[in-house]
Amino acid sequence: MLEISGLSAGYFGEDVVHDVSLNVSEGEAVTIIGSNGAGKTTLFKAVCGLLAASGGTVVFDGEVISGMAAHRIARSGVSYVPAERHLFPRMTVQENLALGAYPDKPDDDDFELVFDLFPRLSERVGQRAGTMSGGEQQMLAVGRGLMSKPKVMMLDEPTTGLAPKLAAEAYAALARLKDQGLTLLIAEQQVPLALSLADRGYVIENGRIELEGTAAELEKNPDVKRAYLGIA
Amino acid sequence: MTVIAAPRTTSSLTRGLLPVLVTGAVLALVPLRYGESRVMMGIAVAGVLFAAYAIAFNIIFGSTGQLFLCVGALAGIGGYTSVILSDQFGLPMLVTIGAGTALAGLFGASFSWIAVRRSLDTIFVGIVTLAFSLAFEQFILGQRDFTGGETGLRVGTGGDTFLREQVPPYYLFVGLLVVYLIIYLLLHRSHLGWAFRALRDDEEAAELAGVNVTRYRIYAGVIGSAMIGLAGALFAHVEGFIGPSTYSFGSVDIRVLVILAFGGIGTLLGPIVGAATFTVLDELLAGLTQLRVVIYGALIVAIFLGFKRGAIATVASWWRRE
Amino acid sequence: MKAVLFDGLVLGLQYGLLGVGLTLVYGLGGILNLAHGQMAVVAAISAALAMNAGMPAVPAVLLGLLVGGLIGLLLDSTVMRPVYKERGESRVLLSLLLTIGIGFVIDGLLVWQFPIATLRLNIGGGPISIFGVPMRAGSLVATAVALIAAGLLVAFFRYSVTGRAVRSVIQDEEGARLVGVNPAAVRTLIFSLSGVLAGLVAVTRSMTAPIGVTAGISFTILALIVAVIGGLGSVAGSFLAGMILGVINTISSFYIGTYITTIVLLTAAAVTILIRPSGLLGQRE
Repeated sequence: MLEISGLSAGYFGEDVVHDVSLNVSEGEAVTIIGSNGAGKTTLFKAVCGLLAASGGTVVFDGEVISGMAAHRIARSGVSYVPAERHLFPRMTVQENLALGAYPDKPDDDDFELVFDLFPRLSERVGQRAGTMSGGEQQMLAVGRGLMSKPKVMMLDEPTTGLAPKLAAEAYAALARLKDQGLTLLIAEQQVPLALSLADRGYVIENGRIELEGTAAELEKNPDVKRAYLGIA
Repeated sequence: MTVIAAPRTTSSLTRGLLPVLVTGAVLALVPLRYGESRVMMGIAVAGVLFAAYAIAFNIIFGSTGQLFLCVGALAGIGGYTSVILSDQFGLPMLVTIGAGTALAGLFGASFSWIAVRRSLDTIFVGIVTLAFSLAFEQFILGQRDFTGGETGLRVGTGGDTFLREQVPPYYLFVGLLVVYLIIYLLLHRSHLGWAFRALRDDEEAAELAGVNVTRYRIYAGVIGSAMIGLAGALFAHVEGFIGPSTYSFGSVDIRVLVILAFGGIGTLLGPIVGAATFTVLDELLAGLTQLRVVIYGALIVAIFLGFKRGAIATVASWWRRE
Repeated sequence: MKAVLFDGLVLGLQYGLLGVGLTLVYGLGGILNLAHGQMAVVAAISAALAMNAGMPAVPAVLLGLLVGGLIGLLLDSTVMRPVYKERGESRVLLSLLLTIGIGFVIDGLLVWQFPIATLRLNIGGGPISIFGVPMRAGSLVATAVALIAAGLLVAFFRYSVTGRAVRSVIQDEEGARLVGVNPAAVRTLIFSLSGVLAGLVAVTRSMTAPIGVTAGISFTILALIVAVIGGLGSVAGSFLAGMILGVINTISSFYIGTYITTIVLLTAAAVTILIRPSGLLGQRE
């Protein structure tokens, strides 16, 4: 469904991500593992159109989206939940969610879906996003991403700043979404959580894909274990 | 033992001095061609005046990124103070010109001080000084008893001196211009210039490196403003008449901006080139009063759009903190 | 005294509308449009010319507003394009310089081609008493129009999809792009809207006093003062500041004098920047 071929991207003329190729099939959950600065965020931004790629192509659902403006990519079924969330701080939960469906008007079913997944949000419908806690904001960000009924959802480090319990809850929600058929691409530093959900994974280091495999394979891989799981 | 800094400063000073002296010499030739015409000499004086304003603005904005949109008002402070003190209170002209200059410098220092104290962004400095310019204009219009309001003031003081003759005032202004160029050179080739460059590039880093940002901003503010005030005061006594339009935002600041856009901000001779170009242009368009406004506006737009790489990018790199 | 207060509020509402256009454009794109007042005058003069040519008042006014919107559209799609390529302070500075130039161009063209064109909407009818204060029909209609416009604006931003999209760009542009909002399209829309709003203010002002081709600069300065005091980027702030300044203006003009009044307003703006640069209700970082 999502094919990234030879993608390179960076800032101020210098590439941070070099020649990355990966793919995500419909219904899969794929994770990209890497430490800080490995290039996960840069990669995601390049795929979503927030950053101009310096080389390579991205094909989504048969359509070439590399080079398209971010808002058009968002409208074509790719939802991106960034690490910084980028919520609208002075708007309520309701308004943030409603905007998720832009340019369409959201119907009650869409809201239901999100509240079903994140009951805590339904309790805070009228609260301004800027006043919510980190965990709640994360839920709202994911919820907003769902309002457009996307075909694929990309999440950048969804557990940032979340206590372990909340992180586990977040992944439980993502698992439910996967069961409902949503395709997921998740960048993570928290490897065990990521591998518990994903079907397949890629390991990115210094902007390049170093390893690829099923979740099971990666879990057993000695380099992964040493670098990311802290197991000697 | 080798002395490192001193000779280098001196030699770079002398290197810079050459264009200044050449400029002075070239300008001094103008009366040979146009000295017979009172009108032409009046235009020439105005041209040199604006070049002087531009150099001072260059010091304030080009060097330290302070957008003082009050050149006219500062000149007006110099002019009106000197004229009122000399005509209405009988003080000697040299004293009143000094007073006008000092007052303008004081205002400039205040603006700089406030701007640093309140950590004002460039745009806010611009808005505050713009508000000041407009308020000053209203003040002049309103305080009719002192300032003559709409009708302005005839300047008596200096009427019997060489200042009202045809050619000598021009030489006075050329002399002033040369001095201003030298001041610019001194500021930029000295340790002050290094400080200016540092704080333009990155204020925080400069602060950490020991550059007292407040002090240097105020230096630039005072010196530049005093220069503007002095020029404004001298002009009042030379021209023999001042009114609200002599020092308004529209007549002064806009022109200074266009001049610097033409000539390049932050260069030594940019103001000269710009002022010369502008003066010639002004004369060519003299007949078409309303169309002239349109053309100036269009020029401002075209220059700042066209020389974007040059003018604005240069400007931007000076006060962008990255 | 009550009459002066009422006059002040009437004026204040219009001041608020004037500031809103400027503040919106700043809040959305980081652009300071110092040709705002000139857009207002173009709209007003267009209406005046149409009326001189025989068009009845209402369609002429609507035409004027349309012209205002078109000027905004034109500016945004041409001169402002390079400005959007800059970021942060460079952008504001460039926009300030460019729009000063544009303001001059418009001013000059108007004075050159239509030096005596004036818009004056005479609303007949004797004074009507509101809360015991006799008000001219012109003031009343102006107030009604301004109130309706303000109401429509608020409704637009709070309840419409597009209005929400505009707010999203102001609050977090990257987030807006991620939900599918096209920031450039939103900026163009708002710039055009600011032209319409500017024109609307000129039209309502013309109901109590004639608007000539040289009114552009004073409109711009007023808009700037209101927007700055209200907080650049805040619609509510503009209205609040507008009302306060309208009252101050009227009281000061009545009891002290016009020159001082202008100085007072300008000083208020400067003091606001010095004490609280974000203005009364502003929140742009």
